[in-house]
Formats: sequence, C-alpha cells, structure tokens
Amino acid sequence: MATHPEITESLKAFTDNFNKNPRLKIMNRDWNRVVMIKATDVDSLHTLTLFEGDVALREGPHEQPDLTVISDSETLADIFWGDKTPTEPYNDGTLRILGSEDDIIRLDFISLLIWGG
Amino acid sequence: MKRVVSVSLGSSKRDHRVEVELLGEKFDIARRGTDGDFEAALALLRELDGQVDAIGLGGLDVYLYAGKKRYVLRDGLKMMEAVKVTPVVDGSGLKNTLEREVVHYLAQNTDLLKKGTKVLMVSSVDRFGMAEAMSELGCDMTFGDLIFSAGIPYPIKTVEEIEEIANKTLPELTKMPIHMLYPTGKKQETQDEEKVKKFATYYYDAEVIAGDFHLMRRFMPGGLTGQTILTNTTTAEDVEFLRDKGAGTLVTTTPEFNGRSFGTNVLEAVLVAILGKPWEGVTPEDYLDLLKRLAFEPRIVKLA
Repeated sequence: MATHPEITESLKAFTDNFNKNPRLKIMNRDWNRVVMIKATDVDSLHTLTLFEGDVALREGPHEQPDLTVISDSETLADIFWGDKTPTEPYNDGTLRILGSEDDIIRLDFISLLIWGG
Repeated sequence: MKRVVSVSLGSSKRDHRVEVELLGEKFDIARRGTDGDFEAALALLRELDGQVDAIGLGGLDVYLYAGKKRYVLRDGLKMMEAVKVTPVVDGSGLKNTLEREVVHYLAQNTDLLKKGTKVLMVSSVDRFGMAEAMSELGCDMTFGDLIFSAGIPYPIKTVEEIEEIANKTLPELTKMPIHMLYPTGKKQETQDEEKVKKFATYYYDAEVIAGDFHLMRRFMPGGLTGQTILTNTTTAEDVEFLRDKGAGTLVTTTPEFNGRSFGTNVLEAVLVAILGKPWEGVTPEDYLDLLKRLAFEPRIVKLA
C-alpha cells in the first residue's frame, strides 16, 4: 500500500516529466482536460489539469473531471512513477478509467511517451 | 479447387466470394466479416480450420513493424492461435514485399510518386515496407499514426521518429483491445465527423493519401482536390465514396477480382496456398517470384 504523500510524489514526477518534454507539450496543445486520480484503499485524491500543453497538479478532488483514474494506491504510485505501465492493470480491471475511449487512449499514449521504452 | 477464406473483424456488408484461376489452378476465395465480434471470429476460425487450404486474417494485423522490430498484437495472435492446422496469415508478410514493389512501380512507370511528392500515410506501422520505400524515394512524408490512432495532432515526418515512438508505445499498446486502436465492425461504415473536421488539413495538404483504407475512410473530408489514393481493400462502393470526396486517382496494391480488390491477407493466403509450404518457411523471395509469375500490377483507376 502507498501513502497519499507517495502518490503525490509520483504525480509530481509525472507532471515534471511531461512539462519538460517539448514534444509532449506540442502534441497536447489541443487537449485541455481535467483528470482526477482517486485511490481506493487510502484517502487520496489529486487533480491534474492539462491546459494548452502544460500540466498542473494539485491535491484534492475536482467536481467535473473529464477523466477519473481509479485504482489502489500501490498501482497508482507505480504507474505515475513509471514502474508499471497502465495497460496490464487496465486490461485486468485493477485500474479503471472513467471517460471517453479517445481520452483513455490518449492518456495511455502520454504515459507511454513519458515512461515507455 | 483450392479454398481460401479471409475472416475479418470488419463489416459483413463487405462479404464477397469469387472464383479465379491462377497459374492454372482454380481458387474459391471468400471474405467473411464478423461485424467487430471477436468471439464470433474465433468461432469461425475454429470451424474453418482443417476445412480450407489457407486462411487470411482481416480487419486487424497480427504483426506491426517499425524498422527491424516486430510487434505482436495480442488480439491478432489470439485469432492466429485459434487455427491449428490450416496455414493462416495476416498479410503483413506480403505487405512488406508487395507494397515496396508497388512504390517502385509507381515511381518508375507513372508520375504519381516522385521525389518531393507530399504523402499523407494514415498509419505506417501496419505497412512499414510502403512507408520506408516512399521515404527512400524522397517523398515529403507525413505519417499519421498518432493523429488517426490516438487523436494526437502530431505529424511524424521521418521513419526514424516512427521507430522511436513505436519503441516506446507499441510494446504496451499491442496489448490493448484492437477496437480501441483501429476502426472495426460498424465503425468501418461511418465517419468520425468531429475528427474529420479537425484533421481535414492533413488530407488537403497531401498529393497522395496512402495506407489502410478503413482508417483513411473514417477521417476523410469532402472537397479533396484530385489527390491520389494508394491503398488495398476497396469495393465498388468505396470507389464511389472516394469519387464523392474528390479524390483523383485510386491505386490499389492488390489485384482486382470481379470488381473489387481484396485485402493483402487474402492475397497472401492465396500465395501460401499456391506455394503449398508452411508459412514459417515462406521467404520474401518466394512472394516476389510468385508475384512476377502471376504478372500482378497495381490497379490504377482514374476517378475524376
């Protein structure tokens, strides 16, 4: 089990890696979305806001997110640290993402472009 | 008579059956779509296994290529492994040889492809041979893999960048259900209107639009200005669709049987049936030799 601060740290790493990647910023200039990250086993909510190619992180929920990423704390921390890809937990149901299929695929791409290879 | 069946995840509306004679041998070639129903496709494959001479897998690829690396689509592999006895192919082996040859043929025998020609290739990892051949020819390439498969408006300009992005993403994306990455079933008969508008400029800017027909169809805007379409699987209805959109010339890489060009998987299955040896033992030279003996040339149709 990961703690709320550990999830926060993993999300900070994800956010930093996104923001210092010029290609990712170009790729996502058109994709303004609010992504809420919710742990199922600890009290932990975060909100990522993508706006014109930049990502901002804050702790806490959002009332109307475009995407909601839900999993146990360990899986969330692993994914956002890049220790685990989201594909397997998504396929086996450990990771649930609420939102449009197009947005889910795009989030998956972003994550792979940061951590993949 | 040899029987070849293509089992596709695509629409059953495109089902077709023809009899042709190739190198003195008669072939009964059929295409059977399962409207995106993966389980129905598996059941049909099991039913056909051992009953026909070769099977083609349509509507999805098993193998994707970027450079020298090969990536295996999990859903495609499940379909391939459902067949135990009959040779089964997905067309990727033939694409890598035939489609390179088609690019060379067009460069040498037509004015449709030359150095500097602006080409939009809607997806490259499913036909890397074509992508590489056009790049080597010096075409001004825009690869739409991220645009049309992920909705990311980022045109890739070189095969090196395709390889780099593929290396990061494909090992994982190939594990996703195929319908999340590629239009299957009913999606093959409709257009994504929002993305048609959003991505229209990539079509308008190109002189040649190349690649998978279902993918290019799903996002193709109206008001094209005589662009050349380079693809493989088209029906008479598809030809009218392209004419309506304003395309100027249609080039199909596979030959026409009774008014339509079949997918590469069908042609590869036919070639494997002619060769009569296990697919694993078939080499690109075997295909090239057969294609020469069959005198296959790309079909070029003026639409305007």
